[in-house]
Amino acid sequence: MSELHKSGSPCGPLFAELCHRYVLMALKNLRAVIAGSFLGGIVLLGIVIGSLGGIHFDAELTFYAIGSILAASAIGYRFALWAERPPTRRYLSRGYQFLREGRQRPKKTIKRSLSIGTEKFVGQGFIRRRSIFRWIMHLCLSGGCTLAFAVTFPLVFGWVHFQPFLGDATRYEVRVLGVAVDSFSVHSSKAWLMFNLLNIAGVIVVVGVVMALYRRLTDPGERATQSFSEDFVPLLLIMAVATTGLALTVSYKWFGGDAHGILAIIHLICVLGLLFYIPFGKLFHMFQRICSFCVGWYKQEGAAGIQAHCARCSQPFASRMHIDDLKVVLDQLGFDYRYGTDAEAGHYQEICPACRRRLIALNQGQAIGR
Amino acid sequence: MSRLEFFIDQSRCIGCQACVQACGECDTHRGTSMIHLEYVHRPTGVQTAPMVCMHCEDPTCAKVCPADAIKKDDNGVVLSAAKPRCVGCSNCVLGCPFGVPKMQVSIDLMMKCDMCYDRTSVGKKPMCATVCPSEALYFGERETLERKRREKPVNEFKFGQQTVRTKVNMMTSSEKDSIPIDVAELMAHETVQGETLWEAREGAPDAASFAVWDD
Amino acid sequence: MATLTLKTEEDYIAAYGPTLNYSPAGGWDRGEPDRLVKTHCCFCGVQCGIQLKVKENRVIGFEPWEEFPVNQGKLCPKGVKRYMQNEHPDRLKAPLLRSEQGFEETTWDHALDRTATAIKSIQERYGKDSFAFLGGASMTNEKAYLNGKFARIALETKNIDYNGRLCMVSAGAANKKAFGIDRAANPWSDIPKTDVIILAGTNLAECFPILTDYIWKARDNGAKIIVVDPRITPIARTADLFLPVRPGGDSALCHGILHVMILNGWIDEAFISEHTEDWPALKKLVRKFTPAYTEKLTGVPARSIEKCAELWGPAKKSMLLHARGIEHHTKGVENVLSYINLVLATGRIGKEGSGYGTITGQGNGQGGREHGQRCNQLPGGRDINNSVHREEISKFWGIEETALPGEGLTACEIIDAIEAGEIKGLLSISFNPLVSIPDSQRTRKALEKLEFYGAIDFFLNETARYADVVLAGSLQEEDHGTVTNGEGRCIRLNQSVTPPGNALPDWKIICDLADRLGKGRYFDYQDPREMFSELSAASKGGPIDYSGMTYERIESEQGIFWPCPQPEHPGTPRLFEKGQFFHDDGKARFHAFDYRPPAEDVDAEYPLLFTTGRVVSQYLSGTQTRRIGSLVDQYPEPLCEMHPHLAEKLGVEDGDQVRVTTRRGSIDVPAQVVKTIRPDTVFVPYHWPGKKSANLITNRALDPISKIPEFKVCSCRVELVGPHAGGGRKA
Repeated sequence: MSELHKSGSPCGPLFAELCHRYVLMALKNLRAVIAGSFLGGIVLLGIVIGSLGGIHFDAELTFYAIGSILAASAIGYRFALWAERPPTRRYLSRGYQFLREGRQRPKKTIKRSLSIGTEKFVGQGFIRRRSIFRWIMHLCLSGGCTLAFAVTFPLVFGWVHFQPFLGDATRYEVRVLGVAVDSFSVHSSKAWLMFNLLNIAGVIVVVGVVMALYRRLTDPGERATQSFSEDFVPLLLIMAVATTGLALTVSYKWFGGDAHGILAIIHLICVLGLLFYIPFGKLFHMFQRICSFCVGWYKQEGAAGIQAHCARCSQPFASRMHIDDLKVVLDQLGFDYRYGTDAEAGHYQEICPACRRRLIALNQGQAIGR
Repeated sequence: MSRLEFFIDQSRCIGCQACVQACGECDTHRGTSMIHLEYVHRPTGVQTAPMVCMHCEDPTCAKVCPADAIKKDDNGVVLSAAKPRCVGCSNCVLGCPFGVPKMQVSIDLMMKCDMCYDRTSVGKKPMCATVCPSEALYFGERETLERKRREKPVNEFKFGQQTVRTKVNMMTSSEKDSIPIDVAELMAHETVQGETLWEAREGAPDAASFAVWDD
Repeated sequence: MATLTLKTEEDYIAAYGPTLNYSPAGGWDRGEPDRLVKTHCCFCGVQCGIQLKVKENRVIGFEPWEEFPVNQGKLCPKGVKRYMQNEHPDRLKAPLLRSEQGFEETTWDHALDRTATAIKSIQERYGKDSFAFLGGASMTNEKAYLNGKFARIALETKNIDYNGRLCMVSAGAANKKAFGIDRAANPWSDIPKTDVIILAGTNLAECFPILTDYIWKARDNGAKIIVVDPRITPIARTADLFLPVRPGGDSALCHGILHVMILNGWIDEAFISEHTEDWPALKKLVRKFTPAYTEKLTGVPARSIEKCAELWGPAKKSMLLHARGIEHHTKGVENVLSYINLVLATGRIGKEGSGYGTITGQGNGQGGREHGQRCNQLPGGRDINNSVHREEISKFWGIEETALPGEGLTACEIIDAIEAGEIKGLLSISFNPLVSIPDSQRTRKALEKLEFYGAIDFFLNETARYADVVLAGSLQEEDHGTVTNGEGRCIRLNQSVTPPGNALPDWKIICDLADRLGKGRYFDYQDPREMFSELSAASKGGPIDYSGMTYERIESEQGIFWPCPQPEHPGTPRLFEKGQFFHDDGKARFHAFDYRPPAEDVDAEYPLLFTTGRVVSQYLSGTQTRRIGSLVDQYPEPLCEMHPHLAEKLGVEDGDQVRVTTRRGSIDVPAQVVKTIRPDTVFVPYHWPGKKSANLITNRALDPISKIPEFKVCSCRVELVGPHAGGGRKA
């Protein structure tokens, strides 16, 4: 896992490549396999329990459910692999530690969690500051996809279902885990919203994808650095899911269900493709972003704590915690940046980046007498 | 493309910042330079330290990245952090022995020199090495350079116990095979006979020691 | 009357800049250019080749031009960002008339009529010479030629000069005296082939950065580098020998070196007797310049003087390059001649890898001084006091010789004459004397005395604020023509875009004005190409002969070195081959000027030496470069460099605000405490206007021969004002 993925590999027979990767990795990483199986099992269990033993399970959605279980396994597997990497583990465990220690001051902890969460996941200000266009684009993609998943998974897993009122076919009841929580008339705007939520999500996603594609096709900087498999495949997959989904609506609404069957199959394939792509491609960042929550917290804790001062220029340059953690991580990774004799051993991590650059210039100059 | 390599000779640098200004022209980072160029210690001299990414064979920055955001391409170029992945933690900034990655704090994104991916991928030279007036930054064929210079290109650095090999070469004395980065001897705050080593070191000549003047 | 109408500096900056431009025309989403225009940088005498990216008549960026032989794609930071002057928010897009609100836009007819009327009125009342013209050396050869012709034929004034007078006229005058011609002796391609190089008074790495590569290449080939400078500049840091000359000591230093060379027999007697004159007088003069005596005069240790002679004297091949550091003196010509003595004494000139050159400061520092823009010069480098030359040019122009004005005042003298009330009107182009001429309080007083001041420029520079009429001219990339770089290579500037709004090409403004002065028939040009044909024809037979050049040839041959007297002549990259010099007898001249101190020496009241210079990120008076954000950020404000020994005596720490006072006034700037400067000297760069302007306190004493002012040395005192405005003291 420590080896770097090569970017820019051809899109090629994607599926075969994925299967190949699956097998090899599974053999090498048993813990991750266990984690994957565990997450898959949780989802399966969730379906069984949530649909009250299958009572509310919609058989038409079987393939989706199977796909979700498999994708969950893959995500669990991939997440475990990722979380095992020393720097990742360090941040995740630090995040866990902060939350645990924060129990003593729950108000502050909740407040800080909310503020970091809002900034990193909802507001995404760090993207807004890159450019407004990209911010809107990304909000459409992340918001649209989240909304779509939020609607479909509970339905697919049978956690939520709609049931007509007995005796009043114009009213529907919303049942969550078999318990009625809400009801509405089919003629109400609420009903329209309920039934079209997925279509709305689809439209938002399409807007996001179009914006992203426009940018990828016109921005000279992106054009120079992007690759098809890493940057276009996810967009095209999302686009395929959204458009085929919308096509289903179009088909039964305006064309009396023409080609509905074949469209449903295409949609299914697209969705499964997307689900299986998530753990191994660019879209996995939605899970890796959990780390940014830990990092946000880490930075605040670090800034409030003791600072590390450069061994050379004496200026503060990072938090003591960060430098000490990095030393541990470097050891775990097999790097040894210690210098000097045992008695006066120093660590290169104690030198600020600017002084590292200066030291290199000084040493280089000294070596050739300038 | 593959026959052309990057060579640095910091001792040739005149600190003009052409590289910095030119780097900022790139469409991928628009006005922000990825090159570092600073005085080693202006009070004692005009020596400057230009630094581009050395593109390590086994990049520490990528290894310490918690988000798997730093990748190496087929040509051995270590790329800027992948935008969707980078969480802005600064591990790479603090981990890199050459002090290369730059954290763009407001946008939670590490950016670094990627050897002008946009230019080298279409057969052009990196911008900094094209404009550099002193050829402190040089991009070209190894044979041509070896014919022109007395110094020898090496790509091995010793940071204490750690040996780091890089794609980018640095010029050093012809007797050497690697560049040891001696920290202890070049500490700023240690003193010898009341003078800091800063002042005593070679390369920081004092105009007063060359001149005769009326006090 | 020329006065300011807005109340404060801030008002002017708000209305006319400098505004800091940080992004290309159209922003960073600039996309792909429509075309690339091969042209040259506008910011120094190297004239680096560069390709400008043009999209929809806007310059949106640059691309290196690696095929151009001089710089091979290399650029300095000014070159990289030079494109950002185009489409700049401060750009003047219409002629302006001064009003109560600063300036108001007007029509060309009105602005030109107003200017012509003022010229006629002043000249009727006070005589033709009461109206002066000041040109610039950043303009094309075509415009330099046009300026000279315009002043002599349309204005009929003798008082035309240019800002090159502040730049390197002492070098030009010395070159004429020693060699009989004013041009660098060698192409720069000779530098890497040499064995030893003296760089005298040139902060080469900052002011002529591209030549660094030539110097380093020479070092790669084994050459020794000797740097003469009061400061350890970037080129001096790794030099083999550094001679920290006290400002004003240059000629003595040369005599001292020559003294040691003669003692050791490191001179070429055969060359001296065959190809030079006046050696005995010099030999006699330098007898007293023993190393010990020279050490006293120059502040350079005797041992270093001997060491320099040891490196320079016996070398097989050598190059000597110098710049403003030795030229900006009341003995500028004498300094340059003393250095030329070192070259001639070894006979190492006119050969591959051996020779001599001056580092030009301005974009067309060489070409700008060749075609008649100077008060004593006619096209082709002819002498305005030479009756044959006068006859040739008046015939060429179709005027009576008697109608051709004689020698006029030089740039600083013109400002003096305005202050004295002798000159009443002024037309300037691409010139910012308020920032660039020493003793700027007097320049300001002079401007206030003008009855009429017309300024042609693309930005409203600090001087143009006093103008009655501002004529919106053209940036370098908005016109085309030729320039001649520091090695004497005439190159082609291609037009990238047209001037924005109602702005006009400079030459068009001059021609329209000539027409209004009743001399339109002499200025019937439709294109710079016609001016070039005329100037090259006018130069035929003159000392500076361009007559074999055409735009097509220049472009296809990537520049042609003058003299180039016939269409089939290949040009002359290296002068003085086989010891042939340009005096009538074919011989070069030694000159024996005894050392004399600068106009102002230190005393009890002003115990320190003050010197000025440039920084790499700024160009001249900063009219262009102080408007480009990232260049300003690189060195935002003038700092006073001083040695820690001095700082300690003054109780000053790095970053503290200090007051530098001379007999002319004082400036408050932050101190930069560095070991890279002589302890008896302080340095402040000169690119800034107003209260931080170095030229507020420099000395307007002139060299008697070339009339260059003594920018590089005057006496001063320095005192602590307080901690830096930015708060606490830095470590």
